Amino acid sequence: MSLLKIENLHATIDDKEILKGINLEMGPGEIHAIMGPNGSGKSTLSYVLAGRDGYEVTEGSVTFKGKDLLELEADERANEGIFLAFQYPVEIPGVAGMTFLRESYNAKLRHHGEPEADAMQFLKMVRAKAKTLNMNDDMLKRPVNVGFSGGEKKRNEILQMAVLEPSLAILDETDSGLDIDALKLVSEGVNALRNEGRSMLIITHYQRLLNHIQPDFVHVLAHGKIQRSGGKELALELEANGYADFAEEAA
Amino acid sequence: MPDGLVKAIPFEDLIAAARARSQDGWRADLNDQAKARYHVAGWPHARTESWKYTNLNALAGSDFTLAEGGAATGAAVPEDAILAIDAPRIVLVNGVLDPALSNLDALPGGVVLTRLAEAGESDRAVMASLLSEESSTDGLPLAALNAATLSDALILDIATGAVPETAVHVISVGAGENKAFAPRLLIRAGEDSFADVIESHVGGGAEVYFSNSVTQVTVAKGARLGHYRLQNEALGAFHVALTTAEVAEGAVYDNFVLSLGARLARNEIRGEITGARVEYRINGAYMASGTRHLDNTTFIDHAAAGSRSREVYKGVLADASRGVFQGKILVRQDAQQTDGYQMNRAMLMSDRAEIDSKPELEIYADDVRCSHGATVGELEEDHLFYLQARGIDRDTARRLLVSAYIDEAIDEIHSEPVREAMKQRAGDWLAQNLSGDGA
Ligand SMILES: Nc1ncnc2c1ncn2[C@@H]1O[C@H](COP(=O)(O)OP(=O)(O)O)[C@@H](O)[C@H]1O
Ligand SMILES: [Mg+2]
Repeated sequence: MSLLKIENLHATIDDKEILKGINLEMGPGEIHAIMGPNGSGKSTLSYVLAGRDGYEVTEGSVTFKGKDLLELEADERANEGIFLAFQYPVEIPGVAGMTFLRESYNAKLRHHGEPEADAMQFLKMVRAKAKTLNMNDDMLKRPVNVGFSGGEKKRNEILQMAVLEPSLAILDETDSGLDIDALKLVSEGVNALRNEGRSMLIITHYQRLLNHIQPDFVHVLAHGKIQRSGGKELALELEANGYADFAEEAA
Repeated sequence: MPDGLVKAIPFEDLIAAARARSQDGWRADLNDQAKARYHVAGWPHARTESWKYTNLNALAGSDFTLAEGGAATGAAVPEDAILAIDAPRIVLVNGVLDPALSNLDALPGGVVLTRLAEAGESDRAVMASLLSEESSTDGLPLAALNAATLSDALILDIATGAVPETAVHVISVGAGENKAFAPRLLIRAGEDSFADVIESHVGGGAEVYFSNSVTQVTVAKGARLGHYRLQNEALGAFHVALTTAEVAEGAVYDNFVLSLGARLARNEIRGEITGARVEYRINGAYMASGTRHLDNTTFIDHAAAGSRSREVYKGVLADASRGVFQGKILVRQDAQQTDGYQMNRAMLMSDRAEIDSKPELEIYADDVRCSHGATVGELEEDHLFYLQARGIDRDTARRLLVSAYIDEAIDEIHSEPVREAMKQRAGDWLAQNLSGDGA
């Protein structure tokens, strides 16, 4: 059975149609990459999957673990195992990073009818995971993302993913704004989370991230539709030819 | 003005009732003088500048009877409404000291309590002059009304150089339905003393009452006084409070007011900085829902050179509630090297909520640094979604974000236990008022 099945998904923002019939099926443990030019609707797709307000699905369906995903609130989707690593993680003044992580971790436990985590053990677990991402205690104490560099914000997203252990991670341009060292660190973090039960949808504009995280499938999104799908060699082809081909296909 | 247009001034009956109770000649004189000041000041109306955003018609149109002085009411202190602070208590029920509810024996060394009701000859002159100190000219008729209707007044003296072991907690309990009362507190921090005085203003069973309080503070040279107030009155109550503070050279005055209760409340703080190197801090937070009206009005008079003032107020306004912030800073000609900072931020949780913000700088010295600002915002959808995308439900996300917003003001408080106690009450408010979508 597939983990995620998107069928003929159409979505609008402010009555403007952005997604124009997306079809995509992901099995457990699979890594899919979505590539496409700027403005093609990659972030829109990620937001529609995560349940952001303001995006209206006008046609089609999304099934996640056999459930109608579109029926669920954003927080319910997260607790069911969907994780969106934001392209632009926001700064949240006044809410300490640790408090935020604990709230979300416990929300998930409660959702599954489990008791809340022991505070000390949770802290230990987070610290250990933070260490592998080169994040120190100070970063955990600070308000969420406040004063973080672009790279630190992306690492913080990966830390949250490591703590929340989703079954579907959507990484929206996690590579953008990272220098080579940060890219390696983040990729290692992501690769460490790969397992047969966890699928990932990696959204990227460039193929360089895919040198570090090897996808099973690559899809090209342009003009609100998946124009082509293939193996990882498709990413290399795009790197060589750019997205120019797809301007015509859509026209 | 033609006779026909002269509106009767409200609460004459309360004044008459208070006067009738004044057995002593000197108390009667105090009443009469205060009544005269009240008449000169006149009841605030729509064109009274300092009251232009706060309409007192509902208050003036309500019927109250003067709370009995001294009679046992059987009231109890509502423990879940006051600031939860481990400190000896001075409890006023309807404006009158209730020794049974207080721990007067436990007052820390260096703190002496004197009551107007028991004032000896020597204290009387002091009391009389202190009670009449509020000016009749500055739109402070309610302070004069306080003096004309009070049944008791308390003086808390902190001795020179004293560092009391604990804070002192003054608790005003409104316990009589449709009663009016006038708590009056004088805090005198002696030179080089270091103390905290906390006030909790709460309801003790009554729903509708009128608490018209005045707190007069003097902070002598080199003293440090923390003065923290929680306004958590019953939701049908009227609460009008004036705090005056006179702060001398080298002193620190750290004031914070958290306003949560009452149907209409005014928190007015008038401070005068009379010496150099003063650290004058008046900060606060206000949280309102329903149709509540919370007014914070402050006046800082930099009358001497080389001092600093800081003021941070933050508010959360839900439903159709209304907030008012008026902050005036006066820097007199001689007050060179004044450093003044003022900020009022309000978060509107609904499109029916409203804030009126009026900062005002009046600067006559040329070498000063003064800044002020005001912002009005809403919860950011981006922030809410970020939390929701991590599994936190919308209500909890709203509470987390608003609490973080308010904590930023509460964190201005110097005393750590008071900070935590304030956060606890702010948290209670959030739990009670920010469930459901609120808009
Ligand atoms: N909030 C919005 N309101 C209106 N149009 C939007 C909004 N967000 C994105 N768009 C438009 O939707 C299209 C797709 O945007 P996006 O999904 O962010 O693309 P990508 O992530 O592929 O660069 C763009 O044309 C963009 O201008
Ligand atoms: Mg994007």
